[in-house]
Amino acid sequence: MSGRDAQAVLPARLNGVLIALLLAFVLVPVLFMVLMSVTPDADIAGGTLWPSHLAFDNYARMWDTVALGSGLVNSLVVALVSAVVAVVFAVGAAYCLTRFTFVGRRPYLAVLVFLQSVPQVLLLLPLFMVFSSATTYLGLPLVGTRLALILAYLTFALPLATWVMVTYFRKIPESLEEAGLLDGLTRFGTLWRIVVPLSWPGMVVALVFAFLVGWNDVVIASVMTHPDTRTAAVDLQVFGQSIEGGAIPQYGQLMGASVLCSVPVVLLYLLFQRYLVSGLAAGAEKG
Amino acid sequence: MLPGLALLGLVVALPFLLAVWMGFIDLDQYTLRDWLGAPFIGLANFVEALTTSSMPHSLWLSVSFALLTTAIATPIGLLAALTVNGRVPARGLVRSLYLVPYVIPQFATGSLWQVLLQPDGAVNKVLRALGLGGSNEWLIGPPAFWALVAVDVWASWAFIYLMALSGLQTISTELYEAADLDGVSWWQKVRYVVLPQLRGPLSLGLILSTLQHFNNFTLPFVLFGSPAPEAVNVLPVNIYQTSFQVFRFGLGAAMSVLALIILAIPAWLYLRGVRLDAKPEEAGA
Repeated sequence: MSGRDAQAVLPARLNGVLIALLLAFVLVPVLFMVLMSVTPDADIAGGTLWPSHLAFDNYARMWDTVALGSGLVNSLVVALVSAVVAVVFAVGAAYCLTRFTFVGRRPYLAVLVFLQSVPQVLLLLPLFMVFSSATTYLGLPLVGTRLALILAYLTFALPLATWVMVTYFRKIPESLEEAGLLDGLTRFGTLWRIVVPLSWPGMVVALVFAFLVGWNDVVIASVMTHPDTRTAAVDLQVFGQSIEGGAIPQYGQLMGASVLCSVPVVLLYLLFQRYLVSGLAAGAEKG
Repeated sequence: MLPGLALLGLVVALPFLLAVWMGFIDLDQYTLRDWLGAPFIGLANFVEALTTSSMPHSLWLSVSFALLTTAIATPIGLLAALTVNGRVPARGLVRSLYLVPYVIPQFATGSLWQVLLQPDGAVNKVLRALGLGGSNEWLIGPPAFWALVAVDVWASWAFIYLMALSGLQTISTELYEAADLDGVSWWQKVRYVVLPQLRGPLSLGLILSTLQHFNNFTLPFVLFGSPAPEAVNVLPVNIYQTSFQVFRFGLGAAMSVLALIILAIPAWLYLRGVRLDAKPEEAGA
């Protein structure tokens, strides 16, 4: 048995075959997406799987077919602002939840976790009602503005970011902060000078996850936006639904736009993979 | 620090309470802007949701969809985790590639499969080449349910994979070596070493995955639009349509509160399994 890899449970040959099958399962549709994004619209509509020529101009023409430019800007602004606000407040909330004991702390934590299983429409309905009536009661039109979208995303991003920070702060030994307190730092000082610098990987995870709440969302943006505040996700969804009525469905351009919206997210994951994967697992940390 | 706690309470608790309140009032597009004056109608919305609406059908669809996708994704995720736990060439790359479908935004996944599942699309081409017939109704007819299951499994099996992999990494090498000394087959190793050790993380992963599939709105909405074909009128899409296209906001709220009551069972199981509190002095509490 010497030299054998004990962690490798499956026989080597089976292992190789399984990896090949799984990679094919995963990659064939993705490669198709990329291939179709450079296939002329007419080819896809006509049922050809291999492009007659490479139509890189899909990537140029799609900006006029869909309002992708404004959509991407809206997505970026809304997702980024809500993510940054969420993380700032999450750091404060998570610090309280991990360093102080107070009545209602456990239920508070329970709610944070429970929220991950609440259907989004359940919270979207009251948000929509309140934002719609803001015009009536406050003379303030909210629905259709970026602000409405940011506030709505906070409802989902804030508990998520807080939970990520809670799991992270637990790993930081409190003895460091006690030393800081003895040296005359205030509580806020220990948070700012000791905990925050140590926990930036956790903050990156929280920021990315909170960002993806906005970037990946369709349901909230589809009722909270007007055509000029639409996010890229809704632009794509509307484009996809309207496409089939057209003479030549513009599938090539749809795939180009899909690739464009996916690339930043895939890059984010590859860049921060080590931290993000442990963050994903944090939701199911067992006790 | 405290503002964080307070803001969190405000943006989460308030909408939640309002959602419950909405279930008890008659709220449509006319009363929406002045909802404080909307008539209180007691349990009428809840009764309608459970009896005359399409909710029971949607609920059944959603439950079977969530259980089915989790059941199919589990063996895939588990096997995938086993393939990259040992030393294999380019292990880091393989691990990253496994994650790609999970990482792509679901609205893009939806667009991709919407094109692949067209009557002349790649899926039918492949199926016909294999002599399996295919279908012209992947996006509109009864087979749509199976299309949704397949796409959702493709998009999210990596979640189970991640849970299983993080669980596998906690199994000590000695356990495998002991099994090797006993000369057991790889299948016995999976059955008697791996699975018992994975029970904790995997069961949490299964519950969480079921909840996520149940609540998935984006994928069915992008694939099939709204109103959805009957075979894929899952609960989140149904509630969305009832609320934002038929403008029966009160009925929609009642439906989502009812959904939450049903979700509370798996959610409670999940809460029990998660380590809520890690403060050492309260470990016994």
